[in-house]
Amino acid sequence: MPRIQHNILLTMKLTVVLLIAGILQVGAATTSAQNVNLSVKEVSLKKVFKELRQQTGYNFLYNSKMLNETLPVSMSVKDMPFNQVLEKCFSNQPVTYVIAENTVIIKRKPSVAVSVVQQITVSGSVKDIKGEPIPGVTVKLKGTGTGTVTDTEGKFQLTVPDANGTLVFSFIGFQTEERAISGGTTINVVLKEQAAGLGEVVVTALGVKRSEQSLAYSTQQISTEQVNQVKTDNLMNALSGKVAGLTIAPSASGVGGSTKVILRGSRSANGNNQPLYVVDGVPILNSGNATMQPNGTFGGSSDGGDGISNLNPEDIAGISVLEGASAAALYGSLAQNGVILITTKKGKAGKAAIDFSSGYSIDHTAYRPKFQNQYGQTPGPVTGDVTSWGPSISGAPDNLKAFFQNGTNFTNAVSLSSGSEISQTYLSYANTYATGVEPGNKLKRNNFTLRETGNFLNNKLTVDGSANYINQIVDNSPQLGIYSNPLLSLYTFPRGADILPYKNQYLNPDATGFDRQNWLVNNTGDFHQDSPWWIVNREPNVSQRNRLLLNGTAKYEFAKWLSIQVRGSLDRITDDFEQDFYSGSNSLYNSNGNGAMKVSNQTLTQKYGDLLVNFTVPLQHSDFKISGVLGGSITDTELNGYTLGGNLSTPDFFTLANTIVTPAGQVAPSTNPTNVSQSTSNANGISPSHSQLQALFGNVDFSYKNWAYLTLTGRNDWSSNLSYTPNVSYFYPSAGLSLILTQMFTLPTEISYAKLRGTYAQVGNTIPPYLTNPQNTQGAGGALIFNTSVAPHTLKPEKTHSTEIGTDLRFFDNKLTFSFTYYKTNTLNQYVPVNYSAPSLVTTGYVNAGNIQNSGIEFTLGYDVLHSADLTWNTSFNGAMNKNKIIDVDSRDNINVFYLTNDGNGYQSELVKGGSYGDIYAYNILRDGQGRVVLGGDGTAGHPYTPQKTSTQQLVGNAAPKFQLGWSNSLSYQRFTFNFLIDGKFGGNVMSVTQGFLDESGVSDVTGQARAQGGVKVNGVNGSGQAVSTVDPQTWYTTLGTRGGITGAYMYSATVVRLREAALGYTWPVHNSAFKSIKLALTGRNLIYFSKKAPFDPEIAQSTGNGLSGIDVFNQPATRNVGLNLNVNF
Amino acid sequence: MKRNLKSIPGQSGLIGIFIIAAALILPGCTKNFEKYNTDPTKLSAAQTVAIAATAFGPMEQAIYSNYQIAQNLSADAWAGYMMSPTNFRGGINNLNYALVDGWNSTGFNDQYKLVMAPVSKIAQAGTATKAPDVWAVALLIQVEAMDRVTDRFGPIPYTKAGSSLTSIPYDDQQTVYQTFFKQIDTAVINLRAFTSNPANAGKNPIGTGDLVYSGNYAKWQKFANSLRLRLAMRIVKADPTTAQQQAEKAMSDPAGLLTSPGDDAAVAQSGTRNNDLWTVTIAYNGDNHLNAAMGSYLDGFKDPRAPIYSVPATDGTYKGIRLGIDVSKGAYKTLASYNCLSTFTQTSPQLIMTAAEMWFLRAEAALRHWKGVGGVVEDPQVDYETGITTSMQQWGVTPGTYLSDATSKQVNYVDPINAANSTPAISTITIKWDPAATDEQKLERIITQKWIAIFPDGQEAWADYRRTGYPKLFPVAQNFSTNPVIDATIQIRRIPYPSSEYQTNATAVANGIKLLGGTGDNGNSRLWWDVNKGNF
Repeated sequence: MPRIQHNILLTMKLTVVLLIAGILQVGAATTSAQNVNLSVKEVSLKKVFKELRQQTGYNFLYNSKMLNETLPVSMSVKDMPFNQVLEKCFSNQPVTYVIAENTVIIKRKPSVAVSVVQQITVSGSVKDIKGEPIPGVTVKLKGTGTGTVTDTEGKFQLTVPDANGTLVFSFIGFQTEERAISGGTTINVVLKEQAAGLGEVVVTALGVKRSEQSLAYSTQQISTEQVNQVKTDNLMNALSGKVAGLTIAPSASGVGGSTKVILRGSRSANGNNQPLYVVDGVPILNSGNATMQPNGTFGGSSDGGDGISNLNPEDIAGISVLEGASAAALYGSLAQNGVILITTKKGKAGKAAIDFSSGYSIDHTAYRPKFQNQYGQTPGPVTGDVTSWGPSISGAPDNLKAFFQNGTNFTNAVSLSSGSEISQTYLSYANTYATGVEPGNKLKRNNFTLRETGNFLNNKLTVDGSANYINQIVDNSPQLGIYSNPLLSLYTFPRGADILPYKNQYLNPDATGFDRQNWLVNNTGDFHQDSPWWIVNREPNVSQRNRLLLNGTAKYEFAKWLSIQVRGSLDRITDDFEQDFYSGSNSLYNSNGNGAMKVSNQTLTQKYGDLLVNFTVPLQHSDFKISGVLGGSITDTELNGYTLGGNLSTPDFFTLANTIVTPAGQVAPSTNPTNVSQSTSNANGISPSHSQLQALFGNVDFSYKNWAYLTLTGRNDWSSNLSYTPNVSYFYPSAGLSLILTQMFTLPTEISYAKLRGTYAQVGNTIPPYLTNPQNTQGAGGALIFNTSVAPHTLKPEKTHSTEIGTDLRFFDNKLTFSFTYYKTNTLNQYVPVNYSAPSLVTTGYVNAGNIQNSGIEFTLGYDVLHSADLTWNTSFNGAMNKNKIIDVDSRDNINVFYLTNDGNGYQSELVKGGSYGDIYAYNILRDGQGRVVLGGDGTAGHPYTPQKTSTQQLVGNAAPKFQLGWSNSLSYQRFTFNFLIDGKFGGNVMSVTQGFLDESGVSDVTGQARAQGGVKVNGVNGSGQAVSTVDPQTWYTTLGTRGGITGAYMYSATVVRLREAALGYTWPVHNSAFKSIKLALTGRNLIYFSKKAPFDPEIAQSTGNGLSGIDVFNQPATRNVGLNLNVNF
Repeated sequence: MKRNLKSIPGQSGLIGIFIIAAALILPGCTKNFEKYNTDPTKLSAAQTVAIAATAFGPMEQAIYSNYQIAQNLSADAWAGYMMSPTNFRGGINNLNYALVDGWNSTGFNDQYKLVMAPVSKIAQAGTATKAPDVWAVALLIQVEAMDRVTDRFGPIPYTKAGSSLTSIPYDDQQTVYQTFFKQIDTAVINLRAFTSNPANAGKNPIGTGDLVYSGNYAKWQKFANSLRLRLAMRIVKADPTTAQQQAEKAMSDPAGLLTSPGDDAAVAQSGTRNNDLWTVTIAYNGDNHLNAAMGSYLDGFKDPRAPIYSVPATDGTYKGIRLGIDVSKGAYKTLASYNCLSTFTQTSPQLIMTAAEMWFLRAEAALRHWKGVGGVVEDPQVDYETGITTSMQQWGVTPGTYLSDATSKQVNYVDPINAANSTPAISTITIKWDPAATDEQKLERIITQKWIAIFPDGQEAWADYRRTGYPKLFPVAQNFSTNPVIDATIQIRRIPYPSSEYQTNATAVANGIKLLGGTGDNGNSRLWWDVNKGNF
C-alpha cells in the first residue's frame, strides 16, 4: 500500500500538471484500444481498479471518500476493450471518470445526472441551405458537456437525459442554431453560412488560427464564393466593394493587368503601399515583370500583370484581410500596409469529390468618349493637321466600333479532392483564356495545383505540402499614355472621315519590300501618332511568366500544450518580355528606320523558412489562460536578369543577334578621326538585388474567463538592406485588448454579442537594397560614371505607429451584426530622397523623415432579413472613410514636397506638407479677384481672346475617395440564388488628359457644342478690363487641351456609384446520377453606373504604383462584363 | 509513471534542440549581409581606380547635357540660330520669353551634377597631386562647362561648391572669372610640366577616355590658351585691364592657340549617345529649325556654308522661322532646318571651340591694340579674313569671291505663312573688310562673321550678342514675359535662377541675387561683363 500511496501521490502531482496542461480528454473517446479480461462479483471499485491497473498499466486516481458511495461491481468479460470495461464499471455509479494520458481520474458525476434515469435519444441531420449535408457539426445539449458531432452524411445521434433540453448546432463558418427538443426525437437542421467577418475562428498572422473574440483588431473574411461568384481575370478585383477600408484600383491595361490594393490609405512616400500577400501562412511575391508599368504620363511600357493575379481563384478556400498594422505586426516588414491572408483548399477526409467549373463572359467597353458629329477635318494643305476644326459635316461614322471588339474570358477549372483520416489530396487545374477589348490583347493562363496533407504518428505529426505551377502569357498588353498607344490616334481621328479603309489595309508595302503604315499622318506631329492597327500588329509585345510555388509544413505535437512547426517555401517567378517595333514604326521607337526590339528576362526567387513553437501555459484551474507562439523566420529574395534591346541591322528581323551593338563610330570633318567610341553592350540594367530578412518573434495571448483577452507581440528583424548602417536590427512591439461585454455583464437579451477592442502597434519596414552602399557604375560606352550621391549611413527603417479601437456587436440572435473601427496610423522615418542643391555637388541623399498620417473609420452592418426554409435574404453594408494627411515631408532639410509623378503633360502628383498623399497639381485657368477668366489677346482674328494659365501649378485635387460604401445582398429562393453588390466611392478628383487631347483636336462633343452655339461662353475679362462673354472655341480648347496646357480645367469629381456585381444562380435538382449538384449562374460585373461624373472610370489606374493616381491618358476604358458560370460537383 | 517521466525529458530535449537550432540558424547569421547588399553589376573600389580615365568622356559630353532644353531652346534661339516650329507648352515658352524653369534649370544643375561633382570626386582621389596632368584636363573641362553656366545666370556657387549640403554660397561673377583664370593657370603649368619632361614622351594617361582630344596634351594646351582668350574678351567691358592682361597671356603662350580646323575641340559621341542637333532635328521630328536671323544673313551673303549648315526651305532659300512667332498658325516645318542629313549627323561630334573663333578673337584683340601672337599687335584684317577662311576650311567649302564681296547684306525677312511676322533687314554690314570703317563697324563685321563661323554654338554667340550687340538680330515677335516684362528691344540678358535653388539653397541664392544687382532675378538684369556702354 505505501508503494501504491506513493504512486498515487506521484500520480496526483502529475495529474495537476496534466490538468494545467489542458490536455484532459473527456469520456473514453480516445482511450487506448487495449483489451482486458475481468471476472468479478460484488467487489468494490477499488479492487477492480487494482486489477485493471495490473492488466493495463493505467493508474487510477481517486478520493477514497468518493468511492465509499459507490456500488459494488459484478462483471465477467473477456478481451473487451478497456474503455468499454470502464463504461460498464461506471454505469449507474455516482461517479464518473476521465482519462489523462495513462491515468484514469475518478470524479463525481454532475449532481443532476445522478438521479436521472429517463433518457431519450435524439437523431437527425444537418444540412446547409443548398441541401448539402455538413459533416463535423458539433451538436451539444445546451448547458452541459453532452454532445456529439455529425458524421460524413451530416447525421447525428445523441442521448440526452430528458426531453426538456435545447440542442445547439455549431460549425465553423456557419451561424449557430438552437433547437428545443420538446419531446421530439428527430431534429433536422439547416445551418446558414455566417456573414463575412463573423467567423468564429479566423486565420491570423503566420497562419495561426484564433477565436474571433480574442482578436483585438478588425479582420474581414471573404469566402471562396465571394471570390468566385463573378469571375475576373485578377482575383483581387473580386474583393472590390466587399471589404471596408480596402480600396481596389484595377489598372487600365487590359486582360491580365495589375491591380492596386490599398488598405486604409497610402502611407509610404517611397516604398510599396500595397499589402503583403500570404498564402497558407507564407508570404508570396506580387511583382510584375521587368518592363514594369509606366511611371510617367507618357507611358510607353506594358503591364505584364502582378503576382497575385496569377493564382487560380478556385483554389482559394477563404481570404482574411488584416487591415491594420496590429494585425500584421507579426509579419513585420512589408506588412505595414496590411496583409491579405489567403487560405487554399486542401483535400478532405471522406468521400472523393470532383468539382468542375466553367465560366464564359463577354466584356465590352463600359463607356466611350463623347464625340461631336458636326464638324470635319481642318482643311488646308497642312501636312499632319489631323484636327477636326473644319467645316460642317452631316454626321460621322462610329470609328471606335471599327477598333474595339468584345473581350471574352473563358475559364475552366477542375479540382479533385479525396482523402482518408491519414492523408488527403487536392489536385486542381485551371485554364483561363481571355481576350481584351483591344484587338490582339490576350491572356492565356494555366494553373496546376497539388496539395497533400497527412497525419502521422497518431495524429501528432501533420505534414502539408503543396506545389503550384503557373504559366501565363499576356499578348499585347495595351500601352497607356501617349507612346505606342492605339487609342490616341483612334480617338483623335478626324470626325466625319471613315477609318475603315485604314483598318482594312493598314499596311502599305513600299519599294523597299518592307511594310509601311497606311495612315493619314506618318511620323509627324507632336502626338507621335501611328495607325492603331499598326500598333497592335507591328509593335506587338508579349509577356510570359512561369511561376513555381512550393510550400511545405511539418507540425509535430509534443503535447497538447506544445507543438512545433517548421515551414519552408519557394516562390520562383521567371518573366520573359519582348516587344518588336517594325521598321515602319514611328521614328521615336525606331530611330534608324530598320525597326527595333526590346527583350527582358528576369527571375525573382523568394525563399522563406520559419519555425514556430506554439504553446499553452498550463493553468488549468485558473480563470487565466496563457498561450502563444515563439518563432523565427528567414526571407531571402533574389532578383536576376537582363534587358536587351536596340535598333535592328536587317529590317524587321527580330533576333537579338540582329540588334546593333556598336553605333557606328563617327568621322566628321575637322575633328579627330581617332575618336571612335563603341558601346560595349546593349544591356540595360536590371539591377539585380539580394535581400535577406531574418526575424525572431513572439506572441503571447492572455485570457481571463473568456471575456478578456490581452495579446502582446514583439518582433525583431535583421535586414541585409540595412548593412553599412550602424544597426541592421530593429524591434517593434504591439499590444491589443479585447473585452467580450456579453460575457462580462448580463446585457439585455437583444444583444447577442458585444465586444470592445483596442490595439497599439508598431511595424518597421526596411529600406530597399543597395541604398546604403552607393557604388560607381560603368556607362554604356564603358566609361566610369561616378556615383555622386551621399552615402546614407544613418538610415533607419521606416516605422508605422498604429492605434485602433473598435467594437463588434450582434443583436437579435445574431441577426443584426455591426462592427465599427477607428484607426490612426503615422508612418515615420520614411526614407526620403533629398535632392540637394546641385552646387552641393551631391546629387541625392536619403534621410529618414516624414510623417504621413492616415486616420479613419470603418464599419460593417449586416442584417439577416429573411430566413425561412424557402427564402433567405441577407444584406450587408460596409463603409470606410480615410483621411490622409502629410504632417511632414522633411522640414529639417527644408523639403516640403515629394514628387510621386513628376510633371508630364500637365500632371504632377505630389506629397506636400499639409496636403494628402498623391495630391494632383496642375495649371488652372487664370482668373481675377472676381473669379473672371483673364483673357489675353484683343478679340481680333489675329489675336483672339485666349485663356491664360496660372503662373504656378496649383492643387487641383486628389484621387483618393473620401468615403466608400458597399452594399451587398444575397437572396435565395428555393433553388435560386441572387446576389448583387452596389458600391460607391464618394469624393476625390481625377484628371482626364485624354479629354484635353480630344478638345484640342476638336473631336470632342464639348467642342462641337461650343462651336454650334457660336463660342465658348465665359465670364471673362480682357486686358483693358472689359467683360468678355464669348471666346472662339478653337482658341479656347487648343489652349486648354494642348499637351501641358491648362489641365486644371480637366479635373472631374471621382464620385462613382455602380452596380459592381450581380449573379443569378440556379441549382439543378439531381437525382440518381453521377452528379451531386449542378449550378448555373448568370453573372455581371460593372453593369450600371448609377453616377459617374468623370469622362472615364475614375477607379481605374494608369499604374498601380504610387504615382499616376487619378489620371487618364488614353487609358483603356473600363469594361462591362456579362457571363455564365457553370459549377458541377461529382 | 516511469514511462511518463522518461518521455517528458525526451520531448524537452527535442524542444531544446529545436530552439537552439532556431536561435543558431535563424538570426544572428548576418555576416553575409554586406555581401548581399553590394550590387554585383556596379564597380568595386579597385575597378573604379582601374578605369578612372574613362570618366572624362561623360564629363565632356555633359557640357551638352539635356541639350534641347538647356541650350537649344534658349541660347541657340536667342542667338538668332534656331527657332522651333513645335508649339511647345501651348506656344508659351522660352521662345517668346515666357521662361520655362523646368527647361532652363537643367542648364544650371546638370553642369554641377555631371561635371563639377565628378571633378570633385577626381579631386578627392588626390589626383591634383598624384597626377597633375590629369587634374589639368579635369580643370579645363570644368571651366569650359561652368563658364556656360555663369554666362547664363551670372553669380553662381563656384569657389565654395560642394562645401555644404544645404547652403552653398554664390560668388560674384568677377570672382568666378578670376577663379577660371587661376584654374587655367594651373592647367597650363601642369600640362607644360608633363609634356616638357622627356620621360613622358609618348605617354597618354587619359587616352581614348578623352572624347575631345584622345588625351593629346599638346592640343589641350592650345585649348587652355584659347579658352583663356575667349574668357578674357568676354570681360573686356567690365574689367578691361584683366581682359587685356589675360588675352595677351593667352596669345603669348608658347603652346599657342587653336589655329587650324585640326585643332578644333569637339566632343565625340559614344555608347548610345547621339549628336544632340540630330536628335532634336531628326529624332524629335523637326523641333529644331533655322532662325530667320541666320537665314537672312546666309541668304544675303550668299554664304557658301549655307547648305552645310542648313537644309533649305521648300522654296530653295534658307528662310528660317522668326523668333517668338505663333508657330501653330502654319506649316513652319517647311522652312529651313539644320542640316542633320550630312553635317550634324547622328554620330558627328559636337563642337565646343574652333580655330575660326580664335581668329575672330585675335581680330578683335588687334582692333583693341592688344599684343597678339608673337608679342605684336596683329593686323585685324588678316585675322578677320583668316577667321572666315578657316571656318570655310572647317566645313569643306571654298570662299570664292566671298571675302571681296562689298555689297551683299542681310536680306529682309518675309514670312511666307504669316506676313505679320515679316520684318525688314536691320543690318547693313557687308563682308569685305574696310580698313577705313569705324571701330564700331569693324566690330560689327568681325562679330557678324564670327557668329556665322561658330554656328551652331549658340551659347557663345548669345554671349557675344549681349556683350557687343552684334550681329543685329530681329526682336522677338511675341513677348509673353511677365513679372517683369523682358525688354524686347535690348533682348533677353540672362536666365533666372532655377526654382530648385530657391527650394534647396534659399539663403545663398538670395545673396546671389544681391550680387547680381540690376533689376533682380529676371531676364532684364545684365551680367557683370554685360556692361551697358559702348564697345570702345
